[in-house]
Amino acid sequence: MSTVSRSSFASTVAQRFVLVILLLAAWWLAALRMPQFVLPGPLRVAHAFVGLLQSGTFFDDLGITLYRVVAGFLLAAAAGAPLGIALGSNPRVAHFFEPLLSIVNTVSSAIWAVFAIIWFGISNATTIFVVFMTAMPLILTNVWQGALTVDINLVELARSFRMSQTQIMRKIFLPTILPHFFAGARLAFGFGWRVSLVAETIGSSNGIGYRLRQAADLVQTDQVFAWTVTLVVLMLLLEAGVLKPLERRLFRWKKTD
Amino acid sequence: MSTAISGAISAAISLRSVGKNFGSLKVLDHVSFDVAQGEIVALLGTSGCGKSTLLNMVAGLLEATEGELWIDGKRTEGTKDRNALSYMFQEDRLLPWRTARANAEFGLEAASPAIPARERHTRANAVLDLVGLQGFADAHPHQLSGGMRSRVALARSLVTGPRILLMDEPFSKLDPQMRSQMHDELLRIHAMQRMTVLFVTHDVEEAIVLADRVVVLAPRPGRVREIVDVELPRPRTATDPSVAEAIRQLRLLI
Repeated sequence: MSTVSRSSFASTVAQRFVLVILLLAAWWLAALRMPQFVLPGPLRVAHAFVGLLQSGTFFDDLGITLYRVVAGFLLAAAAGAPLGIALGSNPRVAHFFEPLLSIVNTVSSAIWAVFAIIWFGISNATTIFVVFMTAMPLILTNVWQGALTVDINLVELARSFRMSQTQIMRKIFLPTILPHFFAGARLAFGFGWRVSLVAETIGSSNGIGYRLRQAADLVQTDQVFAWTVTLVVLMLLLEAGVLKPLERRLFRWKKTD
Repeated sequence: MSTAISGAISAAISLRSVGKNFGSLKVLDHVSFDVAQGEIVALLGTSGCGKSTLLNMVAGLLEATEGELWIDGKRTEGTKDRNALSYMFQEDRLLPWRTARANAEFGLEAASPAIPARERHTRANAVLDLVGLQGFADAHPHQLSGGMRSRVALARSLVTGPRILLMDEPFSKLDPQMRSQMHDELLRIHAMQRMTVLFVTHDVEEAIVLADRVVVLAPRPGRVREIVDVELPRPRTATDPSVAEAIRQLRLLI
């Protein structure tokens, strides 16, 4: 079994490699017929990237954006998970508050960003708020739905062993909810990351979003591309290096291994 | 086996005129019988005769509407005083995110004062050995067959060292061959540990193969129709003429 998975792993790596080469080639060909400010070629973008690295603020911008995303995300998780559990275990409360969630979900992140500017001005809080308002409903909804899937038979089992309400929460509810929380958190982090850039373009004076707008204003298209490539690579690394292995380790008891 | 009422105080379980209503519906009416220490007793009846309700009241998952329930010579109050007891459900109800060992340990985690993790571990291993699952302690439920899952559930019930084991049609989800294997397994463990067993079944054969006595319930409302002593030597095989005859006789009663 391990040899099969190893050879399929190797073939996946080869396929990904070919795909990257194809994309680069297509990009390069397309860029040949386009003006630099519309579509800069791969080489020029690589140059721009080196320029960014040498600019001195690259890691500061990366760090401050990451800080805002993580802070907004953690606040969203800290608020969304308990609220989701509360709604999941109180159907009446859930029924009452459900419309509120729909309202929050229909408001676009751009509108939150506008409000954030009015309320918090140009500050970290603006971006953190937008990330929070986007990520929190996602986590809440997933945890809530997860709490609804708790097997009443297992709760009865715990009762037959005379377990306390706290023990039932810890030993039955939390493990059932965890995969749902994880799915929600993953979605929320992805969305939070994307909307943080929108928020930064209008509500901050540093960070990746701000640099993107600056580059766009000055028609430094190569820098816009360099930032974009940086972000994509960063997210892929996070996905493959942290989230996938963590998920595999946490949920190795599931059938779909 | 003696069924004398005078022995009630020393009985492991004693029901006296126990009744249960769900709203205005009378489910059980004046049910009285004793289960002696170390005895295996079957509650037999068609569906709707309230046999699972009766077991749930003994287990303390439900409260009786009327009558007295004595466990180990002590009168129980409501759903309390059930420490000597273990309950095995119709389904295995294993926690899918736990290994076989951790599932067995689950039975020990409610204990107060808490049992140290190391001791829980050792006792879970021992009880998995007892049910013939050595080598599968680290497997997750989805990796186990139905029979093995049933063994894990049995291990979880036995890990507390209960003096009384209650079972609600515990092997009804297994195929016939696996079921008779689990019967042998249960009788083997019973011979070693001599716990009292009260189990619910609608399977006449299962009742005859396992039980010292069979309490036959009549439906609507559930009440005791007859208590049958099974005085056949063990092991009992359903194809054995005397066992087959006992099964036939019992079948005529329900």
